[in-house]
Amino acid sequence: MPKLRMTGRGLWITFLIVPPLAFVALFIVYPIISAFAYAFFDWQGLKRLDFVGLENFHTVLFVEPYRSWTLNAFKNNIIVFFALMVLQNGLGFILAYALWRELPGARFHRIAVFLPVVLSTIIVAYLFKLFYHPLFGVVNISLRGLGLDGLAQPWLGQSGTALWSIIAAQAWHMVGFPTLVFLAGMQRIPGEILDAVRMETESEWVKITQIVWPLVAPSATIVFTLLFVGAFNWFELPYIMGGLDGSPFGSTDVLGLYFYRTAFGNVSAGQQDFGLGSALAVLIFLFIAAIATVITVRLRAREIQI
Amino acid sequence: MAQLSLRGIKKRFRETEVLHGIDLEIGDREFVVFVGPSGCGKSTLLRLIAGLDPITDGEFVLNGSRMNDVAPSRRGIAMVFQSYALYPHMDVYENMAFGARLMGLDKAEVEQRIADAARMLRLGELLKRRPRELSGGQRQRVAIGRALVRKPDVFLLDEPLSNLDAALRSEVRLEIARLHREIGGTMIYVTHDQVEAMTLADKIVVMNNGRIEQVGSPRELYETPANTFVASFIGSPRMTLVDVTRDGDRLGVANGGAVSVGAVPDAKALKLGLRPDAVHLTRGAAEGLAAQVVYTEYLGDNAYVYARLADGTLLSARTTPNDLFAPDETVTVTVEPGAAHFFSAEDGRRLTP
Repeated sequence: MPKLRMTGRGLWITFLIVPPLAFVALFIVYPIISAFAYAFFDWQGLKRLDFVGLENFHTVLFVEPYRSWTLNAFKNNIIVFFALMVLQNGLGFILAYALWRELPGARFHRIAVFLPVVLSTIIVAYLFKLFYHPLFGVVNISLRGLGLDGLAQPWLGQSGTALWSIIAAQAWHMVGFPTLVFLAGMQRIPGEILDAVRMETESEWVKITQIVWPLVAPSATIVFTLLFVGAFNWFELPYIMGGLDGSPFGSTDVLGLYFYRTAFGNVSAGQQDFGLGSALAVLIFLFIAAIATVITVRLRAREIQI
Repeated sequence: MAQLSLRGIKKRFRETEVLHGIDLEIGDREFVVFVGPSGCGKSTLLRLIAGLDPITDGEFVLNGSRMNDVAPSRRGIAMVFQSYALYPHMDVYENMAFGARLMGLDKAEVEQRIADAARMLRLGELLKRRPRELSGGQRQRVAIGRALVRKPDVFLLDEPLSNLDAALRSEVRLEIARLHREIGGTMIYVTHDQVEAMTLADKIVVMNNGRIEQVGSPRELYETPANTFVASFIGSPRMTLVDVTRDGDRLGVANGGAVSVGAVPDAKALKLGLRPDAVHLTRGAAEGLAAQVVYTEYLGDNAYVYARLADGTLLSARTTPNDLFAPDETVTVTVEPGAAHFFSAEDGRRLTP
């Protein structure tokens, strides 16, 4: 009898596991593997031609003009990553600390900070496009109202400010997320530990840097890793606010846009090349996977069980 | 040097007043224990002294300076917490060095103090360990060490033994008593355990419902409790309190006989307080209070008998192990002359003959 029951149990397990496994295999594993495969072929439109080995990789990395485009997009992704690390995660930590200390109005602000996260990216992008409008935008109107006419400028229309303007919109959009994760981490710190610190110092700086920060390390691991992945997969906001070409002059071009343009073509540049696009996608994937692993492992090591 | 004065200390949390005016003087090198049931305000009072919560009303003076608005870290006070509150990301050495460095001591001085504390608390081999690698007793010693290296005027200890098992508890209790003798600082210790209070304290502060019921040495509290609360809180097993009416020199329990106890205060209705060693149980004596044995606790060197008096009060009596009573046995209770306590039947205050 027990043997038969075991078989029944095994059947059940199989029955429950196989469908999701098949789903994952079909819609996640298979596309990834085929993207890998596509990268090794020459393409004409959607028609696969010859196997070309590593030539697609070589082209996007070393042959002009692809080389400059790749480097430019990659450089912009790095700027985005570090800028958001400060603006989104840094500000998120400070906001979380303020909310956690239950300053007056904490309840209202907890909701206010998180609300933009719930908004659709499309809406945020559209909203900020309006904000940044050279003539009617609230940013320039405010600056002119303050008598700072010299600072009013076409934010999205010039190379020097376009990327940073989009980064600011992104930070506004998502700052509630790291705030929430850090706040949850802070709320896990036992009250008596904070009392113990207060018995030894009144400096908020010491409290934050020596006690709170090390003890929210698990939250930091999460938000750092997710920000890294998010920054190098960045697409929606620059696509809507800067366009598929990363205009003006490629100043808002990022790897996501560049890949999309290369693989699927563009209104202005009609060509599309699946092979180069796939090679780019594979490179982006490998880069993100490798660095995210390193970040996670390094940050995990400094986590402490409370 | 440490001289603490609490003057009319009140504490309100929103609308609820939890301390109703505490007046207390604590002298240098005294070991003071705040004791009382849960919710009596003893831990709250300790947190006010530490500065962790603001004082609503009244004045806290330490060595002549008003402390009400001084930050906790500037009061010269160190605290040992119930959960030890060690910093989980620092090893034992760092836990102790953290506060000392913040005081601005130089490196050599910090090292010297930690070495001294480690020796005194036998922490030598643990210095490189993280708190989660330590046992409860070891964490407790680190928490004390962390307080020690700051060389504070006053040590506060908030139920420091409550997370330890029974065997360890008496060991650490002795340790704390020894420490107090060695370092000679003023210590304020909060507990709900009257045995800890009795064994450690120079001075016990019994609290109840946000008020001080009595302040005194363990002996004073045991021998002359100021009221029925203190009388029943201090001493184990508890003092029996029974309503009696006076009939000449004898005191009678409602339809349960009468007993003579020596001199009696001049009041018609009283509460009679009887410690377990103040009563004798006999079988079939002519005069005394009637009682029925409920159960017996045999403790080896002596035994306690619990018996129900005629009005339903449970009386505890100490007997010798040779003199055990069976449940349901009827006994007669007599009282050692001069050993009884008397309290007002109205407000529970102590009365003297």
